[in-house]
Amino acid sequence: MSEARLISLTVNGETRETLVEPRRLLSDVLREDFALTGTHVGCEHGVCGACTVLIDEKPARACLTYAIQMEGHEITTIEAVSDAGLSPLQRALHEEHGLQCGFCTPGIVMTFEAFLRDTPDPGEEEVRDVLSGNLCRCTGYQNIVSAVMKAAAEMREAAGD
Amino acid sequence: MTETSKFHYIGKPLPRKEDRRLVTGHGRYLDDIIVPGALHACFVRSPHAHARILGISAEVAREMTGVVGVFTGTDLARWTNKLRLAPPIEGLHPTEIETMPTDKVRFHGDPVAIVVARDRYIAEDAAECVAVDYDVLPPVTSIDTAFAPDAALVDDSLPSNLVSHQTFSAGDVDARRKEAHAVVEASFYQHRQTHVPMETRGCAVLWDPGREHLTIHIGNQVPHPLRSQLAGRLNLSESQVTVMSPDVGGGFGQKIALYREELAIAALARHLKRPVRWREDRAENLMSASHARENLCRTRASVTENGRILGLELELAEDFGAYCFYPANYMSRVVAMIVTGPYRIQDYAFEMKVALTNKCGNGPMRAPMAITSWVMDGTIDAIARQLDLDPLEVRRINMLRPADLPYRMATGEVLEDITPSETLESAVNAIDYEAFRKRQRALRDQGRYVGLGLCTVVESTTYGSAFYKSAGIPGSGHEAAWVRIEPSGTVNASVGLGGTGQGYETALSQTVAEGLGVDPSEVKILTGNTDVAPYGMGSRGARGGTAGGGALFLCARKARGQVLQIAANKLGLNTSDDMRLLDGQVERLINGEWTATGLTLADVARNAYLDPTSLPEGITPGLDFSLTYDPPPMTYSNSTHACEVEVDVRTGALTILRYLVSEDCGTVINPVVVRGQQQGAIAMGLSGALLEEVIYDETGQNLTATFADYMVATACELPNFEILHHHTPNSRTPAGIKGMAEGGVMGAIGAVTNAVNDALAPFGTVADRQPLSPQYLRSLLRDRGAAARQNEQE
Repeated sequence: MSEARLISLTVNGETRETLVEPRRLLSDVLREDFALTGTHVGCEHGVCGACTVLIDEKPARACLTYAIQMEGHEITTIEAVSDAGLSPLQRALHEEHGLQCGFCTPGIVMTFEAFLRDTPDPGEEEVRDVLSGNLCRCTGYQNIVSAVMKAAAEMREAAGD
Repeated sequence: MTETSKFHYIGKPLPRKEDRRLVTGHGRYLDDIIVPGALHACFVRSPHAHARILGISAEVAREMTGVVGVFTGTDLARWTNKLRLAPPIEGLHPTEIETMPTDKVRFHGDPVAIVVARDRYIAEDAAECVAVDYDVLPPVTSIDTAFAPDAALVDDSLPSNLVSHQTFSAGDVDARRKEAHAVVEASFYQHRQTHVPMETRGCAVLWDPGREHLTIHIGNQVPHPLRSQLAGRLNLSESQVTVMSPDVGGGFGQKIALYREELAIAALARHLKRPVRWREDRAENLMSASHARENLCRTRASVTENGRILGLELELAEDFGAYCFYPANYMSRVVAMIVTGPYRIQDYAFEMKVALTNKCGNGPMRAPMAITSWVMDGTIDAIARQLDLDPLEVRRINMLRPADLPYRMATGEVLEDITPSETLESAVNAIDYEAFRKRQRALRDQGRYVGLGLCTVVESTTYGSAFYKSAGIPGSGHEAAWVRIEPSGTVNASVGLGGTGQGYETALSQTVAEGLGVDPSEVKILTGNTDVAPYGMGSRGARGGTAGGGALFLCARKARGQVLQIAANKLGLNTSDDMRLLDGQVERLINGEWTATGLTLADVARNAYLDPTSLPEGITPGLDFSLTYDPPPMTYSNSTHACEVEVDVRTGALTILRYLVSEDCGTVINPVVVRGQQQGAIAMGLSGALLEEVIYDETGQNLTATFADYMVATACELPNFEILHHHTPNSRTPAGIKGMAEGGVMGAIGAVTNAVNDALAPFGTVADRQPLSPQYLRSLLRDRGAAARQNEQE
């Protein structure tokens, strides 16, 4: 075990300091040190996708990332997705019944907030392909796919396409 | 939805109230609950399937900085009672389980010691340093080896590994076999699976030494029965224990039993007088939480020349794993009781054997009776194959017709208010059966193999107390509810269910709204806290809608009665007949028309709380109601699943081309929620039938302890599901609710396997086991190489 070190992380636009051992996972630091418990831990081996956050705007597994690696990077968690009201994607998940127990949902929201920014007009197959990085045991995925398609359409309309 | 149109709030597709906090990351799952000063526990687990514990050396671990203590089964034996299961069921051996093994471990992953430390990292480090000395014993790793005469004993207190054995016979199956045109045999092996809730198990326990009170935060489906268990095992009274179940990240049957880990954490919190928490990691969840299924069924059907079933015999064997957290006959018995499902069969016999093996213990998993409909409809397909009949015609000739209902099955179970022939016909119409057959023939000529599988399901949904009584199991099927109209007129209500994602806060608010006459947005549902909720039996099977929704509906009706009496008094009327509450407004029927009175529920509530002396005679202050409700012995929903697949005979790859279900689950409380349950159940069935498998090697090592090895279906493996709706209310339950949510699993595993066999028919081979992996399908085809080559050439 190496000595704990004071590091400075930029999380949801705020700079925060915390003392971490080098082996400490980003998921644990977010949840335990910063009380950002919306990032869920489902497998701790990078398969289930529940812990997905954005690192420099790209989706990544917080359970496979050491917090100490994150100095100089920008981390965005589910807590920063909506300031007032829900984002179009969150609203669509609600309207399309795209969640049941909701444990996997923050990871799915983070994955597709990034995806829809880069891919405003995706096909259903493409959405399923990207969604395959997030496991959901409740829904059978159908309503999540509809929600993503609906959110994409709404966001395109709002952008004036 | 014509049948539900008499309702104002039941049947409305309301989006869920719980979503807002869940989509924004503000849910409160177990590990999100901050418990100041909590210690973290990590279990040391057995690397062997079967071994004597010779000694545990924990000195190194205890010396590590941050470690509070290391504890073993011997410590726990002093602080807790064993789990003894001895229901008076013929052929079932009583069993007893220690809180943690003191003498021998029985499966790979069995806990042998617990480290408690300042944080989880230290606890895991220290667990690595606990040395356990084992004497390895020969493992029992299959049903066959369990029953071998020289098999090692999994449970040393039993005479053999046959922990449960029952037989049953109705009518005369021997006579039917003799008079039959043909006897058709078929077999069905369902592999071992596990529940995989996305949130693993865990708990956080606080002991208050002053009040001598234990509070456990734990994601659980049955908070009150869990409290009874926990109090009993810790020698506490039920008033000394509070169970608080927060948002739960899925359960699927895995979060019912009080597991040894949770009991151990509770005992340690009390012993250490400090909060202790444990979060299971995924490897533990896959290896050590609870497994399910792994059963083998063989059927023998005596049939006439046109496929009419005269008699049916079923042999059923289940690999139950090492420990009985449930009576060992529990899951298999339901299969044996209802296997004949939607078909007219009065001559029926079964033999049921349950084996203990050196694997993780079995428990009920979403559709504990999952294999049932595959076994029955698979048998129908076997009859069609052997007699060269159309499988649809064999279904039709055997299926219960409306005139046959109510129908007493050979086992005594009574089916009523079900519509199997209607769901079958609507499913085959929607698929266009004849067109499919034409397409299938044309594609075969091109060397492509598509198949259609049908599976009609009769799903046992709500188990009433009378069912438990007749099964000889102590217990109740009742549910309890309270409804409180607060002084402002807003409504709080509670029930003993424990939600794990079913949308109770929304759907159950609709049942209260319907019973009372207020908008569902005015109703808040409180569950999951044993100090708040009444003692109910919790969430299992598909009982939530009927038992929970039913109890709340009836309780709200009771509340409405009193509200209207008070309203009548305020209006100077002698009777509350011809009055109703709708959207919180009191209305009167005047000249056949509902007319506003100007009085609201809030007015009545103010009267009841703030001016009680003006209440009518015999009415006490406040608006506080409770009741318990015991559903009928059993309620049933039904459905027909139809699945089209294509098998690539070169690679064994399976593609689902179309999936359709026609379902009748009675009165639907919230169609949005029900549709989600239908999709989710089918998905779980397909995921299990195609991909998932717990694999133990011949030494009893679990080889599937990661998500890379235990494969759960992703969005790429599952199709969209088409759903056709029927709504035949149950005539005996409040509002005609039947319950649903497990039938989708039953239908999916049957429909997809039947479809594969239909696709493979030209090769003369039959898939009789799952998962339907490419490797397995290729192995079937490889044996049929000549036929395959011939077909490819044609």
